[in-house]
Amino acid sequence: MSTAMNFGSKSFKPRPPDKGAFPLDHFGECSAFKERFMECLRHSGYESGACRQRAMAYLECRMERQLMANEPLEKLGFKDLIDEKSEAKPEK
Amino acid sequence: VVPGETALAFYKAKNPTDKPIVGISTYNVIPFEAGQYFNKIQCFCFEEQRLNPQEEVDMPVFFYIDPEFAEDPKMAKVDLITLSYTFFEAKEGQKLALPGYQ
Repeated sequence: MSTAMNFGSKSFKPRPPDKGAFPLDHFGECSAFKERFMECLRHSGYESGACRQRAMAYLECRMERQLMANEPLEKLGFKDLIDEKSEAKPEK
Repeated sequence: VVPGETALAFYKAKNPTDKPIVGISTYNVIPFEAGQYFNKIQCFCFEEQRLNPQEEVDMPVFFYIDPEFAEDPKMAKVDLITLSYTFFEAKEGQKLALPGYQ
């Protein structure tokens, strides 16, 4: 039972997410990581690219607490950050 | 947000009632034509989510804009894409006709 009210234009078809749904973080286990990320966004004038390190930290937090399926970070678009990390390792 | 670069965004939801609510959400992208370039890697949508009384939760969306967006002449003037979510209260037996994610 679909209503096609727009003549000639395609209806918007929502697509499910590639990797499924995030379970809710009911206990706010990763809220601190989220806050750090949001703080970065505010300071950078909402430039997403400037805050990728903290976005990655947030997703790592989720993975560690079973709030996200484990996925290699390189596959989530963070390959360049991972490569930087491994280059910087000798200093540690 | 740069096309091709993964990005994280947060929404917040609160259940102001004193009963648990089970909701399910769907999304919309404006302008309409940009929707085909919007790729969600992971989000809170399409699955029932339960919010306890007075509970407030952060709802993340992890996504990227298809790099082909930058090649599409129709998108040349688009510098703002708005993503919105609508929550519906899930009713017994009501399921969106989509593949299930456990």
